[in-house]
Amino acid sequence: MERQIINKKKRVFSLEPNKNPSAVFTRKYTSHLVPALKKLNMNKNSSKQTVKHEVDMALALSAQEFAWSRFLLQKLSSSTNPTATTSSSDGIRILERSNKEGGNEEGEIEEKLMELQKLLPGGEEMNVEEMLSEIGNYIKCLELQTIALKSIVQDST
Amino acid sequence: MDLSVLDRLKWLQQQQMVSPEFLQILGSDGREELKRVESYLGNNNDELQSFRHFPEFGPDYDTTDGCISRTSSFQMEPVKNSGHNRAISLQNKRKPEGKTEKREKKKIKAEDETESSMKGKTNMSNTETSSEIQKPDYIHVRARRGEATDRHSLAERARREKISKKMKCLQDIVPGCNKVTGKAGMLDEIINYVQSLQQQVEFLSMKLSVINPELECHIDDLSAKQFQAYFTAEADSKQSIMADFRSFPLHQQGSIDYSVMNGTKDQTSSSWETHSQCLYNSLRTDSVTNFFSLK
Repeated sequence: MERQIINKKKRVFSLEPNKNPSAVFTRKYTSHLVPALKKLNMNKNSSKQTVKHEVDMALALSAQEFAWSRFLLQKLSSSTNPTATTSSSDGIRILERSNKEGGNEEGEIEEKLMELQKLLPGGEEMNVEEMLSEIGNYIKCLELQTIALKSIVQDST
Repeated sequence: MDLSVLDRLKWLQQQQMVSPEFLQILGSDGREELKRVESYLGNNNDELQSFRHFPEFGPDYDTTDGCISRTSSFQMEPVKNSGHNRAISLQNKRKPEGKTEKREKKKIKAEDETESSMKGKTNMSNTETSSEIQKPDYIHVRARRGEATDRHSLAERARREKISKKMKCLQDIVPGCNKVTGKAGMLDEIINYVQSLQQQVEFLSMKLSVINPELECHIDDLSAKQFQAYFTAEADSKQSIMADFRSFPLHQQGSIDYSVMNGTKDQTSSSWETHSQCLYNSLRTDSVTNFFSLK
C-alpha cells in the first residue's frame, strides 16, 4: 500500500486514452473477452475450441475498423467449428520450405504473397496492395491480443 | 570593311558545309522545318539564312528561337515542328531532366516523346516541371532514363512503387526485417512472424481453457491487471507483477496509477516497436518451446 502511495505521483497513462489506438484496442478486447470467459465458466462447457472461438470473436469485435475483422466475423458466425490455424500453418510452412526454387524469383514472390493472403482472414478477396496494409494492422492487433491473453493467463496462475 | 565581308563569306561557306550534316541529324523532316524557319526569318537574305544553323552552335539564340516558335505561330503548325524545336532547344539549354536525357541522342525517341507529350500534353508537361498532381485522375510517375514511357509500363511502375512503399512500412512493424534484403526474404519473415503470432494466440487460448475453471474468483481483478502487463515494456514480463489497486474500472478515462515491481522502468505510451520486440523475443525463446512441449 505504501508503494502505491509513493507511486501515485507517476502518471503513466495518457490523459486521453482514446487517442492511443493500442490502448483502445486492448481495452475493447479485454472488455469483450473477460465477460465471455465468465459466461463460459458458468456454462461449465469450456472446451479448448470454444475458448479459441471466444478469443477470435473478441479480436474481431475489437478491431472493427479493419477489413479483415469483417471477414473474421463472417467466418466465425458461419462455422461453429473454428478453423484450427495451427495445423494448417504448420503444413503451409513445411510446403514452403520444400518448394524453394532457385529459378523464378517473380514466381516466388507471387507465391509468398498468396501465402500471406491465406494467413490473413479475408486476404484472398483483396488485391495485393490492400492486403499489405491490412496485414500491418492485423499483425499489430495480434500482438496486442497476445499481450492481453498473456496477462490474463499469468495473473490467474 | 573588306576583311569583315571576307570573313563573313568564309563563315558562310563553313556553315554551308555543315548544313547537310545538320539536315541529316534532323532527317528529312528537318528540311521542312528549316524552310519554315527561313520563312519566319526571311528568305532571300543570305546572312539570315545562316541563322538556321545556329541551333548547333548558339545556345542563346537557340532558346529564343525555341521560345518564339513555341509561343507564336508555330503552335499552329503540325505537331512535329514544335516538337523538334523543343527537342533542339532542350538539347542545349534545358536542365537535364529524366526525359530530356533520353531525347538527346535519338531523333526517333524525340518524336515518340513529342507525340505522346502532345497527346497527354497536360500530364507530361506537368511531370517535367513538378511531380505535383494537377488533375487528380492521372497518376504522375517520373520516367527514368532507359525506361519505357508507354502507359502500361508507367501504370505498372506506379503500382510497383506503391507496393514497395507498403513493404517498407511492414519492415518497420515486423521485427528482424531490417537484416533481410529483398522482397522475398522480407515476405518470408513476415509470414513467419504472422504464423508464430497465430500459434502463440492458439497456445495461450489453450492454456486459458485449461485454467478457465479457476478464473472465477479472479475475474474481477483481471480487468485491472491487463493494463499492468500491457504497459510494462519489459521483455521479462513473466515476472510477477504486483497488483495493488483493485478499483480500476474498465472504462475509466484519464490517468491511473499503478505500481510495478520494477518501478524504474515506467514508460508512457509504449511504442509499437518496443512491444513487438519484446513479444518477438519472448516468442523466440520461451513460448514456442512451451507450446511444443505442451503438444
